[in-house]
Amino acid sequence: MSEQSAPRGRLATVLTLARFEARQHLNSHRMFALASLLFLFIVGGSYGLSDPEGRLTPGISTDTPYQVLFLISLFVLLSATLGVVLLGFDAISRRRLTKELAIELSQPISRSDLALAHLLGLWMAAFLPTMGATLVGVTMVHSQMDAWPTLTELVYFLGATALVLFWYSSIQLLASSLARDLGSAVTLGVGSWMLFTFVWLLITAVLASIIGVDMTNLENQRFDRFSEIIDLFSPNGVYQLLLEDRLTGDSAPHLESRFIWLAAALWTLIPALLFTARFRSIRP
Amino acid sequence: MAESAAGPLLELEDITYRYPVRDGKRFWRRKKGAGVHQVNMKLEAGDIVGLIGPNGSGKTTLLHTIAGLWRPDTGSFRVLGRDSEEAGRRWVQRHIGFMPEQVVWTGSSTPRRVLERLITMRGGDDDAIKMLRLVGLRSRADSPLDSLSQGMEQRMTLATALLGEPTILLLDEPMNGLDPVAQAAFRGLLRQLADRGCAIIVSSHNLNEMERVVDRVAIMNRGQLVAAGPMAEVERRLALEQRLLLAGSGPKPDLSLLTSEGVIIEEQETHSVEEDWRFRLIRPAGRWEPGDRGLLTAAVESAGGVVQLIHPLPAALEDLLGAVTGQDPEKVGLELEGDELVPMRTLEVDDDE
Repeated sequence: MSEQSAPRGRLATVLTLARFEARQHLNSHRMFALASLLFLFIVGGSYGLSDPEGRLTPGISTDTPYQVLFLISLFVLLSATLGVVLLGFDAISRRRLTKELAIELSQPISRSDLALAHLLGLWMAAFLPTMGATLVGVTMVHSQMDAWPTLTELVYFLGATALVLFWYSSIQLLASSLARDLGSAVTLGVGSWMLFTFVWLLITAVLASIIGVDMTNLENQRFDRFSEIIDLFSPNGVYQLLLEDRLTGDSAPHLESRFIWLAAALWTLIPALLFTARFRSIRP
Repeated sequence: MAESAAGPLLELEDITYRYPVRDGKRFWRRKKGAGVHQVNMKLEAGDIVGLIGPNGSGKTTLLHTIAGLWRPDTGSFRVLGRDSEEAGRRWVQRHIGFMPEQVVWTGSSTPRRVLERLITMRGGDDDAIKMLRLVGLRSRADSPLDSLSQGMEQRMTLATALLGEPTILLLDEPMNGLDPVAQAAFRGLLRQLADRGCAIIVSSHNLNEMERVVDRVAIMNRGQLVAAGPMAEVERRLALEQRLLLAGSGPKPDLSLLTSEGVIIEEQETHSVEEDWRFRLIRPAGRWEPGDRGLLTAAVESAGGVVQLIHPLPAALEDLLGAVTGQDPEKVGLELEGDELVPMRTLEVDDDE
């Protein structure tokens, strides 16, 4: 067995390649746009939502730092996942067009390892600044509320955020590996983001009306349960459910935790495996 | 070039690969499209083979197949005496350096970082800076890729192909974008690599640049290898030695006698101040005999002129393809590549082994 074929050697190679990939994304011009987005949404959101004088919609409470973090997750979904799209929509298709991909694929490395390195690299590039913005945001929360989230809450929030960015990274790379030109790369990349971020609510409403669930009454628990089930099929929905799972009282989800975690595991595995399979058969 | 084997370094046996293309009627179905068909070739250590053919003839497809970018549909190839399927893709790729055509290097990364990344993929211990020095890019090691000129991009791509000291080098249109000085250096580098035992395939559609560097040519058309062997031998077998260049000073000679023999006389622009006239003489049937030069010289001198130049003209790609396929040379290059590989009249491969 060659040195590189040994599992430890392979893992080290994948991680080194992922670091190269992440560094390339972090040094790109697009990162300036992403950093601005993250700062505006996450840091600004943290400051605004934790303002004791601020008034939110009735029913949404911001009494504890974790509740504020939960609300910030909406801004994460708007900015950080868009950041993954920004960095990753042409991560494979551009290399294909410039023929850099042909050089990569002619190297003596397993294509699965190479796919994993691309995936981890994109994920790291999106997660590191998001984590930075979140930590700055937490200090904003502290300055407003004079309280910190517990370490467990913070780690849980960052873990869930890391997961949702990993799911989006897999989806983006899969879309990018299917795209043949810049136009289709943009369409697939932005389209998949819009589907889960904006169109999902519409899909939920249409499905609810088809099966006769009343959506006009916000207090309707049947609709709550139904939308939670539909949310399991969306990365945004699973992310929200994961975070809600730590909330108590009316804010806690109706679904059992094991279903939410099962969905999280499937979202982690399926898009990543689909991308790896696609990358293994890709032609430059 | 760490490993070597007795016998050919690369041996292709009936390699066929056809691109899957969408069926026009049912979009989910794929059918076999254009590609390469039953290609046979052998490369010994030190060989430099020129793979020539018009656009869409299958040169790049063949190189991609050998480089392990996909598996051939049928046929097999052996690298250093080992069957590629048995040895595995990664083993094969460790011995092959591949330079794709016209890679565009973009982004804020640098040549050094790109090479370091590829070195990691190869699991090797090459020195990126040493490699950049070899291709003349040492001073641009830390410049953004966006700032490289087209010629520099070609050098950069060449550096990626040379990583790991490959035994077999596949170069797709490597001279594109290189200035004449860089081309000369590039030819010297290829010769050095061949002298060290590397087998090299250089693909191009430019015969003139090929002639100066390759030992043998392999001509492809519509996915098939239609002729192979030393250039002079291929020309001789295709009876392409019938073109002669005649240039001189003084009064123009009377060449009407040649016209009656069926020779086509084309007057051309002169290329130097010593020349007052220049003709291209084409004998469509038969060939120029050694005695013909003496007769032509005598005809020039009897008219009071002096011969400055008299030598055979190298065949152009379209002439070779026309001769090999039996098609009109002017139409060969315009013919669009089709999905079907139409059997063609092929020249018996003469590998000069």
